Amino acid sequence: MQLTELVQKIAEEFEDTPKEQITAITKLKDLEEWSSMHALIIIALIDNHYDIILTGEEMIDAQTPTDIYNIILQKQANK
Amino acid sequence: MYNPFSLQGKTVLVTGASSGIGQQIAISVTKMGAKVVITARNKERLLATYEQLVAEGHQWVLADLAKEEEIKNLVNAVPKLDGVVHSAGIIQPFPIKFLKKKNFEPIQSINYNAILLLTAALLSNKKINRQASFVFLSSIASQYPYKGAATYASTKAAIEAFAKVLAVEHSSKGIRSNCLSPGMVKTAMYEQTEQAVGAKKMSAYIEQYPLGVGTPEDIANATIFLLSDASKWINGITIRLDGGLLAGMH
Ligand SMILES: NC(=O)c1ccc[n+]([C@@H]2O[C@H](COP(=O)([O-])OP(=O)(O)OC[C@H]3O[C@@H](n4cnc5c(N)ncnc54)[C@H](OP(=O)(O)O)[C@@H]3O)[C@@H](O)[C@H]2O)c1
Repeated sequence: MQLTELVQKIAEEFEDTPKEQITAITKLKDLEEWSSMHALIIIALIDNHYDIILTGEEMIDAQTPTDIYNIILQKQANK
Repeated sequence: MYNPFSLQGKTVLVTGASSGIGQQIAISVTKMGAKVVITARNKERLLATYEQLVAEGHQWVLADLAKEEEIKNLVNAVPKLDGVVHSAGIIQPFPIKFLKKKNFEPIQSINYNAILLLTAALLSNKKINRQASFVFLSSIASQYPYKGAATYASTKAAIEAFAKVLAVEHSSKGIRSNCLSPGMVKTAMYEQTEQAVGAKKMSAYIEQYPLGVGTPEDIANATIFLLSDASKWINGITIRLDGGLLAGMH
């Protein structure tokens, strides 16, 4: 898994936000389009693509795609 | 004293009795004179409910209702019943476009499969007395959807339909079957939803409830009514308990 790939996948889920506006260090919850549905979508896409389940709390703590990436790496290592 | 809501002489099975709504239902119906059999998976929490039951003669049985074998054991362990309350249930928000079988099998197995299998086993093993009352916990999500509720809302809608079929199929024995459809009630499930959507969103949502958020007691009181002979002419319906939320929505 690459960070750039994850950023791209996350960016694809924001339909009203220009792709270039979402980078590895974008605070996702500050995006105008952000909703609780996006938290669910990100949890689901990570489950689907990386077979890792993020908890609701982990999603609340994670701010940026990099934060999410690090949680995935850590969980993959512990598997 | 005149009390059409008395449950004296009735024996009631309550699933999901280790937490939230099921726990309060178990306690409340014993206050109305019923004997209960309470069930759930978590022994410590189920025993905590057991400690709070009023009077003697109650029973607790550990069972994972997602497992057919354990449903069988539960059915073997229960005496003849005058009431069955299904409160066991889980919630798992999930966006539709990512759904795979593995994402909805767990919720389906407890919110749907378990109810059908347990009801069938109770009936075929002759554990249900004449005039018995079934009460199923649905949710307003079944009729008034929100994003992410695909699996939850559809299992609840299925149970509302199932309850009506049960009502039709067994009314000749005076057996009744109804649903309760609560809005947001303060339980572990509430905390879970709050964690998923964030405290701010949750309090904004709760502000829409004219009578505030529901309590497990509110649901338990409606359950007492449906289990009692006071509701003996009520069959195949769903009672909405939402603090007036939906009355004001158009
Ligand atoms: N709270 C609400 O706002 C709300 C609103 C509408 C409808 N409802 C419905 O009301 C019912 C009760 O909700 P609640 O808020 O009281 O939930 P809760 O506090 O989370 O309790 C759920 C109960 O279900 C049991 N359970 C879960 N999986 C089980 C399994 N595989 N086998 C056996 N038991 C299992 C749990 O016991 P163990 O973990 O010990 O097994 C627990 O006792 C649910 O059907 C829910 O959908 C709730």
